[in-house]
Amino acid sequence: MSTPTSIPMQGSHFSRILTISTHTFTQLVRMKVFYFLAIFAVIAIASNFFELPQHEGPEAVGANVLRSIKSWSLGAMTLFSVVLSIVATALLLPKDVEDRTLYTILAKPVPRFDYLAGKLLGVLLLVFVSLALMDGLMTAVLHIRTGMVVAEQTEMAQAMGWPQDAIASLRADTLAHGPDASLQGAVFAVFLRASIMASLALLISTFSTSTLFTTIVSFLIYFIGHFQADARDVWLQAGQAGEGVFARLASLLLALVLPDFQLFNVIDAVIQGEALPLLALGKLTLVGVYYALFFTFASWFIFADKEF
Amino acid sequence: MLTSAGCEYMLCPLMPETTPAVEIRNLVKDFKTSFRHKPLRAVDDVSIRIMPGEVYGLIGPNGSGKSTTMKALLGLVAPTSGKCAIFGKDSLMVDSRNEVGFLPENPYFYKHLSGAETLRFYGKLCGLAGKDLAGRVNEMLALVDLEGARDRRIGGYSKGMLQRIGLAQALIQEPRLVILDEPTAGVDPVGSRQIRDLILKLRDRGITVFLCSHLLEQVQEVCDHVGIIFQGRMIREGRLEELISIEDQTDIVLKDATPELIAKITALVEDTPGASVVRTGKPRTTLERLFLREIRDEEQ
Repeated sequence: MSTPTSIPMQGSHFSRILTISTHTFTQLVRMKVFYFLAIFAVIAIASNFFELPQHEGPEAVGANVLRSIKSWSLGAMTLFSVVLSIVATALLLPKDVEDRTLYTILAKPVPRFDYLAGKLLGVLLLVFVSLALMDGLMTAVLHIRTGMVVAEQTEMAQAMGWPQDAIASLRADTLAHGPDASLQGAVFAVFLRASIMASLALLISTFSTSTLFTTIVSFLIYFIGHFQADARDVWLQAGQAGEGVFARLASLLLALVLPDFQLFNVIDAVIQGEALPLLALGKLTLVGVYYALFFTFASWFIFADKEF
Repeated sequence: MLTSAGCEYMLCPLMPETTPAVEIRNLVKDFKTSFRHKPLRAVDDVSIRIMPGEVYGLIGPNGSGKSTTMKALLGLVAPTSGKCAIFGKDSLMVDSRNEVGFLPENPYFYKHLSGAETLRFYGKLCGLAGKDLAGRVNEMLALVDLEGARDRRIGGYSKGMLQRIGLAQALIQEPRLVILDEPTAGVDPVGSRQIRDLILKLRDRGITVFLCSHLLEQVQEVCDHVGIIFQGRMIREGRLEELISIEDQTDIVLKDATPELIAKITALVEDTPGASVVRTGKPRTTLERLFLREIRDEEQ
């Protein structure tokens, strides 16, 4: 050992958060969470062969297949990302407390905010990488299938003697269901929703006594988030309640604290082949960042005074 | 060491030489319980001052408040009243932890990391990077004799190896104070001896050590100051030698003494007014020393 002089501390908040987040990412990866990507690959490929009820002409068959691929893939992405973000976050904090590894970390010059932020970012990094891999696979499958559908439709239209402008119009309609920027925007929206859920699970795990409690409450809030906007509208429009200042303030407070996941219905529109405007995506990003920061700072507020 | 009876507690941040490594002043810690209306008092008006370079042992039975005192010193619990400071810095401030290494009781580290990765992780948390970090990791692995297991996952470590890697992570940023909570709990005699040797090495290097244990023999071997805590209260504190010496008795250990010589000495003592022989016989080794010697002989 060298002389017992004190080493000057050079660590910044950023470097500590980075250390904890990369460690959390490694920890989760070594828990073999990426195995679910194999399940996703099966879903993405199998969605090529799902038969949907057909009420339109034969020219619409190809577009329906593309819609099916997008629908199944984005649905699987939503499921995996939400489950991953809730379960992984709910698991990490109690495990560190139970194993007393938290003592050794907080006994170092690590502010509690850095610890929380590092854990959350580690989970988000995992969700991001998972979604990027799934997105890559979905885009590849969709790209190949779009090419096949366009070729089949062109051949069919030419055989039926369609005019060139009608063929071009059909081709344009089909390509709108292929991989495009809106689809990538929808995947990013899936990531934003998972980020909100991860930060919410982090908040619950700061006062929860078990991983199971955190997981169940997080999923409950996730489901409530899908109809809270409707519930607020019904309440405000029902009778005298909606006219009161208190009712409106309570409604606003509820919206500030509980995320409104109906905002993410834009993902469904993208599945139907509609474009996702940049402005709408920007608004969604602001909403996602607001809730993620709100829940993270609320977590810090509770965790800062927590005793171990 | 200056005891509570001998000095008035003062925080002296501008005088490094005289700044205590640890200063706990009238610490009280109450825990709320759901089963009792009255909160549980885990620590009751405890004061400890440890000067730089000392090895201080806090001893007491299970549940006497040792770990809570250490947690308060590390800012893991907030005092109900009283103050804790490390090298003059309030324990509740994060920067007080720059100078501290901590080994908790029965630590479990991240099982998915190897020994070297574990030390790198803790080193980075302390602001180490690059060659400094790599050098410290190698140095610490050598110090705790785990170079052979540096790339093995922590999940495969024995209890003694876990304690040693725990000690290495506590020392990674070269702290001036090391806090050890039951450092040899659950470790076999060989591992226990290794940890005690490490503590002695730290003492030789001038690092302050604050350890708590209920294994009295071990504390006696390494500490120069002790405090006895019972039911949350400090009931005795001071220099070990002063506390355990029997003032009216004297040891004389002879080598190769014949029975005639012993008879002469005994007669001389008996002839001296006021003096008497309390006990004669052969000094005994401890069971632990015997065990370690036999193991060593067997290995050779």
